[in-house]
Amino acid sequence: MSRGVLVDLTKCIGCGSCTVACKMYNANQWIDDRAATNGERAELADENWTVIQKFRVPQKVAVTDQVPETADKANREIWRFVKRQCMHCKEPGCVSSCFAKAFQKTEAGPVIYYPDNCVGCRYCMLACPFKIPKFEWDKTIPVITKCVMCSNRIAKGQQPACVSVCPTNVMKFGDRDDLLAEAKELVRNDSRYVQHIYGEEEAGGTSWIYVSDTPFAQLGFKMDVPKKPIPSYTSTYMHSTPIFGAIWALILTGLYFFTKRKEQVKTKEHVEMVKKDSSQTTE
Amino acid sequence: MEPKNQCEPNIDVSRRSFIKMAGTGLVASTIGCNGNPSGGEGWMPSQYEGNGNLPPQVRGRIPIDPRNLSITRDDRKCILCGQCAEVCSKVETVMYNYELPLIDNIPCIGCGQCTLWCPTGAITETDSLSELINALENPNKHVVVQTAPSTRVALGEEFGLPAGSNVEGRQVAALKALGFDTVLDTNFSADLTIMEEATELVQRITGKLNAPIPQFTSCCPGWVRYCEYFYPDLLPNLSSAKSPMSMLGAMIKTYYAEKRHIDPKNIVSVAVMPCTAKKFEAGRPEMNHSGLKIGDPSIRDTDLVITTRELAKLIKLRGLDLLKLDPTNYDNLLSEYSGAGAIFGVTGGVMEAAVRTAYAQISGEKPPALLFNLQPVRGLAGMKEATLEIPNHGEVRVAVVAGMGNTHNVLERVQNGTGNWHFIEFMACPGGCISGGGQPRTALPPSDEVRSARINALYSVDERATIRLCHDNPEIKTVYKDYLGEPNGHLAHTLLHTHYENYSMHLTKKEKNNKVDSGQ
Repeated sequence: MSRGVLVDLTKCIGCGSCTVACKMYNANQWIDDRAATNGERAELADENWTVIQKFRVPQKVAVTDQVPETADKANREIWRFVKRQCMHCKEPGCVSSCFAKAFQKTEAGPVIYYPDNCVGCRYCMLACPFKIPKFEWDKTIPVITKCVMCSNRIAKGQQPACVSVCPTNVMKFGDRDDLLAEAKELVRNDSRYVQHIYGEEEAGGTSWIYVSDTPFAQLGFKMDVPKKPIPSYTSTYMHSTPIFGAIWALILTGLYFFTKRKEQVKTKEHVEMVKKDSSQTTE
Repeated sequence: MEPKNQCEPNIDVSRRSFIKMAGTGLVASTIGCNGNPSGGEGWMPSQYEGNGNLPPQVRGRIPIDPRNLSITRDDRKCILCGQCAEVCSKVETVMYNYELPLIDNIPCIGCGQCTLWCPTGAITETDSLSELINALENPNKHVVVQTAPSTRVALGEEFGLPAGSNVEGRQVAALKALGFDTVLDTNFSADLTIMEEATELVQRITGKLNAPIPQFTSCCPGWVRYCEYFYPDLLPNLSSAKSPMSMLGAMIKTYYAEKRHIDPKNIVSVAVMPCTAKKFEAGRPEMNHSGLKIGDPSIRDTDLVITTRELAKLIKLRGLDLLKLDPTNYDNLLSEYSGAGAIFGVTGGVMEAAVRTAYAQISGEKPPALLFNLQPVRGLAGMKEATLEIPNHGEVRVAVVAGMGNTHNVLERVQNGTGNWHFIEFMACPGGCISGGGQPRTALPPSDEVRSARINALYSVDERATIRLCHDNPEIKTVYKDYLGEPNGHLAHTLLHTHYENYSMHLTKKEKNNKVDSGQ
């Protein structure tokens, strides 16, 4: 049973409790110029596994809105807050790109990361369609960091830290399929929501799914994420790499023996020639 | 043979050992020896450690806009104990009292009760000290400070005195020592507020002013913003009189500047307040009545507001010991006060002061002894009521509400016409300004014991005062005679009155679940 989180962006008030919970539970530092909460400039970073970003969105005015008191509504901007963290793809690009097996998708849903395995190649950063993995550029021995969906809390039967602290229940933790059904129901029955569940199909589906009353494109969501799982782009030829490697090994070994043999023959001939020469001289 | 370089590390990695290492690594990672996955090195408060999907009762925290003028939060000190959300939602009924999604702001009335409940001091007032220190160090600036009624009975707590110790004289001495050019008393403008507010009340009751009854007090900026957010239909009930702080601010830039021959542009008007919402009040765009009068709208009534806590911090920063200072008197302009002005800082105090003067204005007689100890409106109850018989008029019914959570029953009765009061006092903080969001931190949450001690200290100022009626304050009489003219007169209206803004379109008020639909 794969778990997931349904995020209802209409409920977020921007308090940033989730970002504090994430820092506390994962013992991540607060860095002054990289605010995690409350701001237009909050960005994911190696110490910010989740952030709340603020967006000002031009407000759509209903046609029936004829109250003179609210006539200036047309020019107003509304505020929306967006929680960002790893989407925990069903088929993650980072996992397929990692030859050191530092990234692994667990059965429970989280995409977890083993820093001890990491060789620091940063292929995962290129492979991720959501630009989630971050590199510890400031450290002497850097590794990759990202949200791991509090996999050990989930293993204990608890919710991820950020979900448990949310005062307005923006997030719901549960079985991903149930949450998707719930999201579909919500979007169908409540006309406030846009007809799009972000994460349902993006990158082949993600464990975290979002519903919103504001178009996702206006909230900084990547809209060019392919619907195919990222590993599927390379899986056909990546699967042939072992055979390819073996064939190369055979060819190179053959070449080695060929050149070795050639050298041996050459040396032998040379030695014989020298012998012949010297015997002629002594005569 | 060359001697081996001592600095070169002695690493012997033969081809064989390299292959061994690589092989071991490959085998280890294949069979699952991965070390530990990242995450989970920290901790969470125990309320979040329960299993299952039910959210903890007390959780999260209040949202605070980074540009909030009143309160600010240091995220690294926050432990998600949930206390700020508790006080904001249950005592002040701001958080959770609006529907989601938000519209275009984070609703906050600035009361600052969260700063008193926050156990780690993560939430504090928004800093004004650095700006104040700059002003004090600028020789071209004439820095005038006013002190609210409640700061004098709480400041001592920051220096080891028991709750309720009155340090009025030593507070003045400290402010002088800190370099303020003039120290004035907000108690004076509390008297001024009563003159304006009581006159307005009498005009409303007698029908001379076309404005609804009951009249609401308007000296608490937290309450004013609350009314603007949640009860915009009742804004006409709010007295148009400004708060004592903003009245004195306007007087400092006009009357005081004229008397002392100082260019108002060079005056920095500072207020020491028990309140965080006063920072927001001072920043309201319309609080430049003195500037409009002078002809320079950029001149503000109040330039800077610091809390009692910030004053204590500044005194300690300068190495002063409050207890060793010799008590000093306020400067002798705009500082004389009556006992009625002094009790502005307690819940029911504004009401008691107002009814004394309203009684005298309506009946033309001296108020009876009862009005100098109006027990029904004293004490820490969230809602108090009293009925007074005024000669030549009849009954006047008053109510006193402290804590925004207690307003709903009263305001709904006003809305549906079942509340027949004439005058209602509202204070955002339980106990009134003496327990305001800018006061020294005490036990968590603030205890009624401390509140009562501070309240008694203010009542004893009133008891000991020789003048106990605002309109008997000789300086008030002088100011009206020499400068302002009549209470609610033209100049008084220009400088001492304000208007309110319907702010309800910035949130969607939550409808009560148990409320019966009026159409049914």
